[in-house]
Amino acid sequence: MNYFAESLSSAFKLIISFDPDIYQVVFTSVLISITAAIIAASLAIPAGVSMALNSFRGKGFIQHILNTLMAMPTVVIGLLLYGLFSRLGPLGHWGILYTPTAIIIAEAILIFPIMMNLAITAVRSADPRLVPTLVSLGAKPTSMIVHVIRTTRLAMLAALVTGFGRAIGEVGAAMMLGGNIEGFTRTMTTAIALETSKGEFELGLALGILLLIIAFALNFILSWLNPNND
Amino acid sequence: MTNAYQLTGIKLSYQQQLALDIPELNIPSGKSIALLGENGAGKSTLLKLLAFTTKADQGVMTLFGQVISSSINTVQRQKIGFVEQHPYLLPGSVESNLKLALKLQGVPTEKHGQFIQHALEHTQTTHLAQKDSNTLSGGELKRVAIARAIVYQPDILLLDEPFSHLDQRHLKLLEELILSLSQQDNKTIIFSSHDRLQGIAIADETINLVAGKTTESPLLNVFHGSLSQHVFDTGKIQIHATSTLTDAHHIAINPQEIIISAQPLQSSMRNSFTGRLILIAEEEESVRLTIDCGERFHVLISPESLNNLNLSLRMSICLSFKSTAVTVF
Repeated sequence: MNYFAESLSSAFKLIISFDPDIYQVVFTSVLISITAAIIAASLAIPAGVSMALNSFRGKGFIQHILNTLMAMPTVVIGLLLYGLFSRLGPLGHWGILYTPTAIIIAEAILIFPIMMNLAITAVRSADPRLVPTLVSLGAKPTSMIVHVIRTTRLAMLAALVTGFGRAIGEVGAAMMLGGNIEGFTRTMTTAIALETSKGEFELGLALGILLLIIAFALNFILSWLNPNND
Repeated sequence: MTNAYQLTGIKLSYQQQLALDIPELNIPSGKSIALLGENGAGKSTLLKLLAFTTKADQGVMTLFGQVISSSINTVQRQKIGFVEQHPYLLPGSVESNLKLALKLQGVPTEKHGQFIQHALEHTQTTHLAQKDSNTLSGGELKRVAIARAIVYQPDILLLDEPFSHLDQRHLKLLEELILSLSQQDNKTIIFSSHDRLQGIAIADETINLVAGKTTESPLLNVFHGSLSQHVFDTGKIQIHATSTLTDAHHIAINPQEIIISAQPLQSSMRNSFTGRLILIAEEEESVRLTIDCGERFHVLISPESLNNLNLSLRMSICLSFKSTAVTVF
């Protein structure tokens, strides 16, 4: 019990003292996750809106694929991308293995189906008169997507925040593709795993607390974005 | 006079149920037309079809003489303004909603101010321009939705049940607006209404819809049932008809072809029923009687006949009509 209490106390001291090593990791993590979330959102939200607005052959099948991808283990994505980005892989010449770019790509792929599904749900939950109104006013396919996103912007922002939350808590792909290089690809989750295995429990705990604070802040933002919440 | 629309062989189903079945329908331009029918008759579906926000399963439609094959182009879309029964305004101010319509229709930005001012003045909603769309009352919302539909100056204005749920003041304003758009601006106005009298009062022409089908007959004395060997069975009474159609499930009887009398008439008329007089109402220049003979019949008579017959409520009354007065569809 003493060990845990002392570690917890040391962890808080590290946080309060603004330990540069810790905040370097936090900064890397947040930067990678924000970039991944923005890239994924810029593709997933228009794709989700477009899918929700249109009927086409194979739509049900795509929905099944999306649902399957949502449950895909992160290490599997890490494994597949490792195969592609490793020196002998087909994209080895890009030279991005063990760089933040590789982690960003992996996290963007990981959160894409989540965001796309949330965008589809947002459109389905919107006022059913929205789309017929835009059609009758002469909206073309592109302007239709833009105005639907604009009208459902809070739900779309919630999708972005959810994606960011999923990305920042991801560990498997970040470990495999980033390599946990200090000051370069070391993220909060990979650092927690490493420091704990090294016996630096208080450092891991400090990062864990910061991760929890970020998760709490994200949930706060999500409930603030949802107008139905009291 | 050119036709705004020509519909030929239109069939449209919802969940395998036929919602519209219109062999031929021509809608002239520059007139106000009332689309009459009871709830579920297909009025909204027909308006959506005319607005090209829904597609027919079969048939050909033309818009000002041009056949519309799959979807309409920008120029054709600009000819149509559509206001749904429960209009939806996008979040933001009234003015931003009108601006959006102009933007989507590709109207040059320099004309926006002038067009918006004209539409707001026409619908008497200038004072609402900066108001948030979520804070409008039902009547204001309908007039703003019409302002949005006319802001890009379409040739055709389609209005789905524009008079429903309006107070007297907004009702009058809306009637004046429709008359002004039709008579002064020479626009084609097509509006649906389940109130026959209101439709007749405002419109130049009427289209009657019953169970998705257009009918020449007025919307009085329409019964649902089945026809077998010239006898139409409503489930409550049997009515003789001349038609031999087999897939028909509706009949309509022209109220002016029904003869009423205190005693059963000795005549060649195949249909004769006795019932109770349950309603006497003034209608335009006639008097409408409602007689319950198992089914409720509406009969139109002149005010003079009302005096001559010395009618009173609850009295027993006979009605007769020829089988040729029965339209089967």
